[in-house]
Amino acid sequence: MAARILLVEDNPANLELVSYLLEAAGHTVLIAEDGLQGLELARREPPPELVISDLRMPVMDGFEMLRHIRADAALNDIPVIAVTAFSMSGDQTRVMLAGFDGYISKPIVPETFVSEVEAYLKAGRRMAGPAAGE
Amino acid sequence: MAMDVCSLLLDEAPDAFVVQSPEGIVLHWSRSAESIFGYRADEIVGRDLLDLVVPPGRAEEERGMRREALENGFAAVETLRRCKDGSLVFVSISAKTVRDVEGRPQYLIIGKQDVTQLKVMRDAKLVEARYGKLLESMPDGIVLVNASGCIVFANTQAEAMFGYEAGRLRGLPVEVLLPERLRGGHVAHRSGYFGQLRTRAMGMGLELFGLRQDGSEFPVEIGLSPLETEEGTLVTSAIRDITERKLIERALHEKNVELAQANAAKDRFLASMSHELRTPLNAIIGFTGTLLMKLPGPLNEVQEKQLRRVQSSGQHLLELINDLLDIAKIEAGKIELVVEPVDCRALVEDVVATLRPAAEGKGLAFAVEMLDEDLRLSTDRRAFSQILINLVQNAIKFTEQGSVTVRLARRIEGELALVEVSVHDTGPGIGEEDRQRLFAPFARITPRSGKFAEGTGLGLHLSQKLAAQMGGRITVDSASGDGSTFALLLPEG
Repeated sequence: MAARILLVEDNPANLELVSYLLEAAGHTVLIAEDGLQGLELARREPPPELVISDLRMPVMDGFEMLRHIRADAALNDIPVIAVTAFSMSGDQTRVMLAGFDGYISKPIVPETFVSEVEAYLKAGRRMAGPAAGE
Repeated sequence: MAMDVCSLLLDEAPDAFVVQSPEGIVLHWSRSAESIFGYRADEIVGRDLLDLVVPPGRAEEERGMRREALENGFAAVETLRRCKDGSLVFVSISAKTVRDVEGRPQYLIIGKQDVTQLKVMRDAKLVEARYGKLLESMPDGIVLVNASGCIVFANTQAEAMFGYEAGRLRGLPVEVLLPERLRGGHVAHRSGYFGQLRTRAMGMGLELFGLRQDGSEFPVEIGLSPLETEEGTLVTSAIRDITERKLIERALHEKNVELAQANAAKDRFLASMSHELRTPLNAIIGFTGTLLMKLPGPLNEVQEKQLRRVQSSGQHLLELINDLLDIAKIEAGKIELVVEPVDCRALVEDVVATLRPAAEGKGLAFAVEMLDEDLRLSTDRRAFSQILINLVQNAIKFTEQGSVTVRLARRIEGELALVEVSVHDTGPGIGEEDRQRLFAPFARITPRSGKFAEGTGLGLHLSQKLAAQMGGRITVDSASGDGSTFALLLPEG
């Protein structure tokens, strides 16, 4: 099931790694380097089926981008998962409470990463409705 | 110049003159009465003094005096009256009944002399004679006030504290010792205090300030207690200048804020360090993985072997980062233990099941000696399991042949009931010297084979710190060449 996936990540090495893994598995990857670019790309037709986003980014961080996506009726159905190096205790809870549909901590496990992402694709939105505000 | 003696006496005599009807309604209120009590004639003529200047507790006394004057023609009393501003004055009252031609009472002529200062002098004499020496010997400033709110005595400490010359406080209303903004409430407050006397601790409740004669303020603590005398009740205030203590408190508070900020900065630093160290590792471990998955293309044997080295070194670095962050968190007091009831048998079984493949893969016998009874402990599940995993992994790592045995037991140590999870191995054992520094960070046991075992060197150090956080400890029992037993001891209940 090849999908259109929007990848939002400011670190070039990590951007290349994740897009390589996804493309190697046959997915189409749209690339944005910060939350604002990500938001613009998400609004182009056709919209992505899944957004994978870093959290700490310049211009607009992942949390803010998520709020904009959830506030946009046209994008509200798209699952957004966080892939982040924030992996201390409490970080996953913070991410899920912010309204992300999934959480993968860095460093990612390349052998299982794609199947994790595909599981999120299949699962879709964790819950309907607007994101819980920060 | 003709002299109108009548109005001169009425208006200018220092004593107040009041004419009342036999029923007590004020018919005339002299100018001196205005200046003593603060009420103008137009505010009081036509009304009953019981409603205005007689304090609530003294109504019976006033009625009695009126009755006596009406029956006997004359009555006198020294008592307290309330002025318009709420302050109290001592007055000496004399009342005379004027009768009409048929002998029926027509008017009550009442003279009121303000004896507040006379009363102060009397009270002062009494206090000095009886308590002067005692009050002078007190370390605190002592101020005695009578029911009118006038200071009757202040010891030298109080005079020095408020910057008054000897004897200059006597007779002044106690409010001169308070900052302007606190005076209004105080008059009512002290009248209330005389209504319900009780001893109050120093500085209870309020932030209080004293006012020196030069106008400067200072923080004080005040203890109040009543003192009964035959001249009536006096209120003793023990006053302490707490400027210095306040300065220390403020310094402490500022230090606390500073510490909290430093702590928050440390938290942010730890979070950032964790984030920044993991970010490049993501690419290192990730791309090593893609190459080993042969996604870009085939690898020759040497390439694959070297990439495995990169991968395991990356994993090792990640473990080090995780352990270091855990230690940093414990040392910063940032570890949050989640205490919940933990089923010890289930937890041990979980850990054993997770590590059994590793032990059996090495050809070791892996035994578990379980407790027969249910054993629940209120503790942090994650930390408990992390320590046990570390101990079992170590046992497997250092044992080349034989067995690893995990045993769950209860132990009594003095008054203390303990849960003991021990891990015994048939490995090379640990010499006395190594045992001493086993729990130090990056401690490495002198290898017999000439090869250091893999690991971060932080596992036992971290486990011991976690155990301490949980109120327990890790013990080790071993002799070189005879295997080792590590035990985690946690307090029950």
